[in-house]
Amino acid sequence: MWRRVASLSPLFSSIRSSTLNQVVVITHAYGNRSGVRYMTGGLKVYYLPWRPFIMQNTLPTFYGTLPIIRTILIREKIALVHGHQAFSTLCHEALMHARTMGYKAVFTDHSLYGFADVGSIHMNKVLQFTLADVSQAICVSHTSKENTVLRSGLPPEKVFVIPNAVDTAMFTPAPKRVDRNEIIIVVISRLVYRKGADLLVEVIPEVCRIYPNVSYLWKVSVSLLVRFIVGGDGPKRVRLEEMREKHSLQDRVQMLGAVPHAQVRSVLISGHIFLNSSLTEAFCIAILEAASCGLLTVLPDDMIVLAEPDPVDMVLAIEKAISILPKIDPQVMHDRMKKLYNWHDVAKRTEIVYDRALKCSNQNLLDRLSRYLSCGAWAGKLFALVMIIDYLLWRLLQLWKPAEDIDEVPDIILPKNQDGKVLQDFDAD
Amino acid sequence: MVDDSIVSRKFSYIRESKWPVEAIDLHHVVVRRSRAKRFFLRLSVVVVLANSFFLVSIKNEPVTFIFGSLILSGLVVKLMLWKPVDKESVIIMPALGVQLETHYFSGKVVQRFFPIGKILRPVLLECVSPVTCYWSLSLVIRDEDELMLVFKELHPPVKMLVPIWKALCANIDDKERPDTEDG
Repeated sequence: MWRRVASLSPLFSSIRSSTLNQVVVITHAYGNRSGVRYMTGGLKVYYLPWRPFIMQNTLPTFYGTLPIIRTILIREKIALVHGHQAFSTLCHEALMHARTMGYKAVFTDHSLYGFADVGSIHMNKVLQFTLADVSQAICVSHTSKENTVLRSGLPPEKVFVIPNAVDTAMFTPAPKRVDRNEIIIVVISRLVYRKGADLLVEVIPEVCRIYPNVSYLWKVSVSLLVRFIVGGDGPKRVRLEEMREKHSLQDRVQMLGAVPHAQVRSVLISGHIFLNSSLTEAFCIAILEAASCGLLTVLPDDMIVLAEPDPVDMVLAIEKAISILPKIDPQVMHDRMKKLYNWHDVAKRTEIVYDRALKCSNQNLLDRLSRYLSCGAWAGKLFALVMIIDYLLWRLLQLWKPAEDIDEVPDIILPKNQDGKVLQDFDAD
Repeated sequence: MVDDSIVSRKFSYIRESKWPVEAIDLHHVVVRRSRAKRFFLRLSVVVVLANSFFLVSIKNEPVTFIFGSLILSGLVVKLMLWKPVDKESVIIMPALGVQLETHYFSGKVVQRFFPIGKILRPVLLECVSPVTCYWSLSLVIRDEDELMLVFKELHPPVKMLVPIWKALCANIDDKERPDTEDG
């Protein structure tokens, strides 16, 4: 179940095509996109008409989603529920209801969170509640696994590490290389504090000052101009605009605003270097997309230049990146990315986790309550009470609307080509 | 003449051909009266009446509060238990059109007729509401932006919708097929 489904649809399509599994995605409505939609390859998506209230976030309903989740799980003959993202209320509720109804549950955490502030403390407690009873968990990096295990108290042996991948068919280098007399540094991210937008405000003017128009590279005077392209939107955009005005960099810093995902590649291939200034990242898919397009960025030692989250260090790292740029072959980088990161490989590893989860034993309510009680002196009792109420509501629903009254959906039969093979997704289009 | 019937817990589906013109195809979806539901309905009425007597017997209770409580209880009972619809019917008249009827327990009948030329296609859709998901049969009507629900009040199961959908498709296909017979 997703708060946002677009960025991980290649994973679900890969799972669907690699085995005989059927995958159904449940998310909330986006604008007028509401109801049932079928995507490429027969992927079915339910857009529940629960309206978001701010920044595509829905309010928690606790038990409000129980009827619709139950109906969907029964009509689609679901065996396992896989929830994503710790900040998704729909995910937490769906996993809670799924466990109440006896389904196996898997959770994937995609982000790193802190421990000290009020928001993090609250979120970690909610996560502890949800993960107290999941069958298995997945994290996108080893750092993310450490973070999730510490926050939720989940046993490490229950957590698998499956890194994200990148759609290399979509993110390919430009057919013709961009002019090297002008170095273009691309930044694409949400312009918020956590993504290091404040660092960019200090780094960009400094780099523009070091590379005004003439520079000395390899002890030879060459004409070299460095420009920045900044894609993305957020509360820190105003600071970047002010920086542009203050240093008169309107002709050297181009602000694109929010860039639709389908247009990200066209922005990336217009540059030479991808700059990521995030303070924390569990796993940065944006860096993979940039490397797949042949930009110098973060990866194996010869494809990466790391820096501390400090403006001085970042400027030195950019200088180093500019100096090693001539040695970079975009097509070679793209081919390496293709081998290193692949959604089909991620899908196979995810299916192993599903198989492990399905083999877990079924437990009744009393056995499961003991796990919730161990979550804390008071929190444990509250969690147990929440689950008991959920169980009672589920039983009431079974009387009010028995499972026999819910029509099961027929299996989707995908069209086949002349050789009898199932037609594949046309992602390259 | 009854040609076919399907029964579920809440509905009965009856297909018949109407004499004397057997070409007219009738499909009825009838609400089955459940004993449990009738019991809960009567129990709810008793609870509402007892509540109102209790409120009336308490002195110094404002009249508006009593009326408000009665109205609220009545609304809850109506929404949860009371369904005034007796049956809904689809009457397919070849070469003429389709008539949709809703019959209520009070005797009221609401009829809607669609000429065959205005119907582009019947479609089976999955509808999603905040609390449930169900199949529905709709008509795509020429020059109309919205689909026309065949069953406005009831949500019969898909096993009852499929034969109606097939009959409607057959009727539309017959309309589109050119007439090759000489008179």
